[in-house]
Parts: sequence; C-alpha cells; structure tokens
Amino acid sequence: MVDQKKLREEAKKIIEREDVKYLIGWEKGTYGFQMTPLFLTSSDDVNRLVFNPLCIHNLVVFPMLEEKLPLGKDKPEDNKKIGIIVKGCDSRAIVQIMQEKGLKKDNLVIIGIPCNGVIDPKKISKRFPQKTKTFDVEEDDNNFIIKTDEKTYKIPKDELVLDKCKTCEFPNPVIYDVLIGKEIKTSAKSDYKEITSFEKKRLEEKWKYWERQFEKCIRCYACRDVCPLCYCKECMVDQLKPQWVRRSVNISENTAWNIMRALHLAGRCVDCGECERVCPVGIPLTKLNKKLEKDVLELFNYKPGINAENKPLLSIFKPDDAEDFIL
Amino acid sequence: MSKHEFEPNIVAFLCNWCSYAGADLAGTSRIGYPPNVKIIRVMCSGRVNPMFVVNALQQGADGVLIGGCHPGDCHYIQGNYLARRRITVLKKLLEHLGIEEQRVRMTWVSAAEGKKFADVIKEVTEDIKKLGPMQQIRRTNTW
Repeated sequence: MVDQKKLREEAKKIIEREDVKYLIGWEKGTYGFQMTPLFLTSSDDVNRLVFNPLCIHNLVVFPMLEEKLPLGKDKPEDNKKIGIIVKGCDSRAIVQIMQEKGLKKDNLVIIGIPCNGVIDPKKISKRFPQKTKTFDVEEDDNNFIIKTDEKTYKIPKDELVLDKCKTCEFPNPVIYDVLIGKEIKTSAKSDYKEITSFEKKRLEEKWKYWERQFEKCIRCYACRDVCPLCYCKECMVDQLKPQWVRRSVNISENTAWNIMRALHLAGRCVDCGECERVCPVGIPLTKLNKKLEKDVLELFNYKPGINAENKPLLSIFKPDDAEDFIL
Repeated sequence: MSKHEFEPNIVAFLCNWCSYAGADLAGTSRIGYPPNVKIIRVMCSGRVNPMFVVNALQQGADGVLIGGCHPGDCHYIQGNYLARRRITVLKKLLEHLGIEEQRVRMTWVSAAEGKKFADVIKEVTEDIKKLGPMQQIRRTNTW
C-alpha cells in the first residue's frame, strides 16, 4: 500500500521547484472505478493526488504529446522539467523513449511507485455492475479492500488483477528520482503460455481467429493515441502521399493497420497493456505485442526498456543473426 | 501446361548493386526463368519497408521476394543486415496472424550469380504455386 501522505509531500516538493512546469499524476474520477490523469501546476491542489490499484493509465504518453511550437526570434528554449509519477511498466516506457532519444532524463523528474498489480477495469465492472458512485480502493498483501458508503468488500487479488500483472517482471520502476514505498521482491517470470499454445494452432485456425478480431476494428486509432511509444509527429497511417493504409474499413485495410502497428512496436513495446484497455471493440492487441516480444527475446536476446544505453533493436544487427529462411 | 493452372504474381524487390545486376546477368546470359516475377529496383534491400511487402500482398501479389547482397557485401555496409532483422520479424508476425510466411522470401544474390537468380525465382514460383492465391488480405476495392 502506497503511503498517500508521503506521495503528496514529495509531489509538493517537486511542484514547488522553480524548474518544474507541472506534475502528472492521478486523481479520483467522477464515477465508479474511474481514475483520471491529473496535471498539477501549483501545490494548492496537491491533496487531489492519489495512488491506488485503480491507477491503470500509463502517464508517459503525456510528455510525448506535449506540443512544441517553433521558437520565436531570441526566445529562450523551454528547458523546464515535467514531473511524472510512474509504475514499474510505465518507467520502462520512459527508458525505451530515452533510448530512442525522444526524451531526456534532464527534462524529467520521476516519482517511482513499486506496484503490486493494478485492477482490470473489465473485471471490476463485471463484479459491481450497477455502482455509479466513486469508491475507495486499498490493498493489503493478498486482497483488494473496496470501500463503499454502506459496505466494505474484501476481494482476493487474483480475481481482479490485470492478467499481465500476474507475470510482471518489473514491479519496481527501472528509473526514478524519488521512490515512494519499499521495493517489491518478485520472482515472477513473464511466461508466454498463451502465445505458445496459440502458435501450435493450424494456420487456418489462426487466421479465422484474427479475421474475427480485425473485422471488429473501427480504426479509431485509440491504440495508437494511448501508446507512449507511438509518438511520431506524423503517423504513417495518417499520411496521404503515399497512402499506406486506405481509409475504408474492411478486413484488408484493418489487417494492414494492425500489422503496421505491431511491427512498429516490435522490440519497443514494454507491455503496459494500454492499447488493449482502450480498444472500444476489445481486440486482444497484447497478444500481438507479446508474440513479437517473445520472438525478439528468442531470436535476438533483446528486451526493450531496461537500459537507456542500449541501441534500438531494429537499428543494430549481429552478423550471425538467424537467417535460416534465406534462399 | 493446362489452361487453368494458377499463375502466381510475385513481386521482387531487388537491390540495385547485387540482385538487380544478378537478374540482369541472368537475362544477358539467356538463362530462362518463370515470367511470374515483377521486379522493382530499390537502392538497397534495407530500403524495403515491411509495409512495402504488406501493401504488395494487399494489392495483388501472391508472394514477395526481397533480394540483397551477400552479408558483408552491402554497398551501404549494413543495409542487408538490417533488412534481415526486419523481415525476420515480419515473417514471424504474418505466421502468427495465419498468413503463410513462405509468401515472403528473402535471398542473397550477387551480381555474378545469374544462374542462382534464375534458380531462386524457379523455387519461389513453385512454392507459391503450391500455396495458391493470396486470399487473406487481398484488397477488394480497387479504386
């Protein structure tokens, strides 16, 4: 359980610094189990800041969305820092972006929070279908404690926690300036059971499955917009000349878009699972990302988002890379 | 040859310095190879964006071949190595989605290997013939 008081104290210290523009954290949403990102510019609002197992959003997307207007004549460059609160997986996204030189460590102040796993919004809304008020959620070692006005529920973690959190290898932030709470010891290893069992299926079965999934896609590009690593100024899918993917929504273009998205995240995806969370039609996008994560690990022994000094996977090579498919 | 036999469309992205010259040599040496292949010259196999391949498959190709220089011989020093990594990842992804990964092939052909080029085209054409036409992501609206 994260000490809210300490979190707010540290946040206050950071906002009051001269060289910090704003701090990004979470606050309670307006109904149900929603949390919303909070941008703190002054220390007056610091008491709105919270962290609990409902804080599922990956906030690293926001520093990348910040619009940088061209500098006027004789205007000094904006070197002010952004404060940001991260969980384990979010911090890997920061490291990955730093590795690609998208962010500088000097422009960030990072508050790290060791995280025991966050609650899956789908699972919890199934459990409490009709509640519209906000809740307080706390956690102890094995349970989530959900408090409403009239009752307190104690629910074992296994029932509510997000699937990817069960095999999370990085509960502690990889990079941080301030750490709130104690580091968590974990022996979990990411297992790819689901992927390997899917790989054993026949080709037709696989396509049948994905055809059903991609048919649903409405190409809202929410998966791209929420992804901290999709930060190109102009996405290939928005380009008109050449037009890589046409605008019509059909199985051919939908598949092409999903291939493109997955390929551009190959060796970069840190498996925060945001794309799958925001997908309005429920396409299991992490299955694609996980597959490439697994293959990249097997083929090139490469894991994204661990060391900012590493080179990006697809911009390096080894002379003895696997080439059994080459004629 | 029967009238109704399936004739595949194969798009080949060949690098300017080796594979394209190899294809040229095959022509000038009068080595025959199947006419199913449509060659697109690129400056380096590293120029081939995986989306080229996907777009070709959408637009009517049944198979795609990427030709580059032998490892170590790249005119741009490392282009073919980088292409190799990209295509490996692409093939893995296609396989996972249920699209036959044999539709995407890669080969190293040097400027002196006209015979090898013809053999590679023969082999690829045979393989794609066995697989049949590309159905999964073929574009239906051609406008």
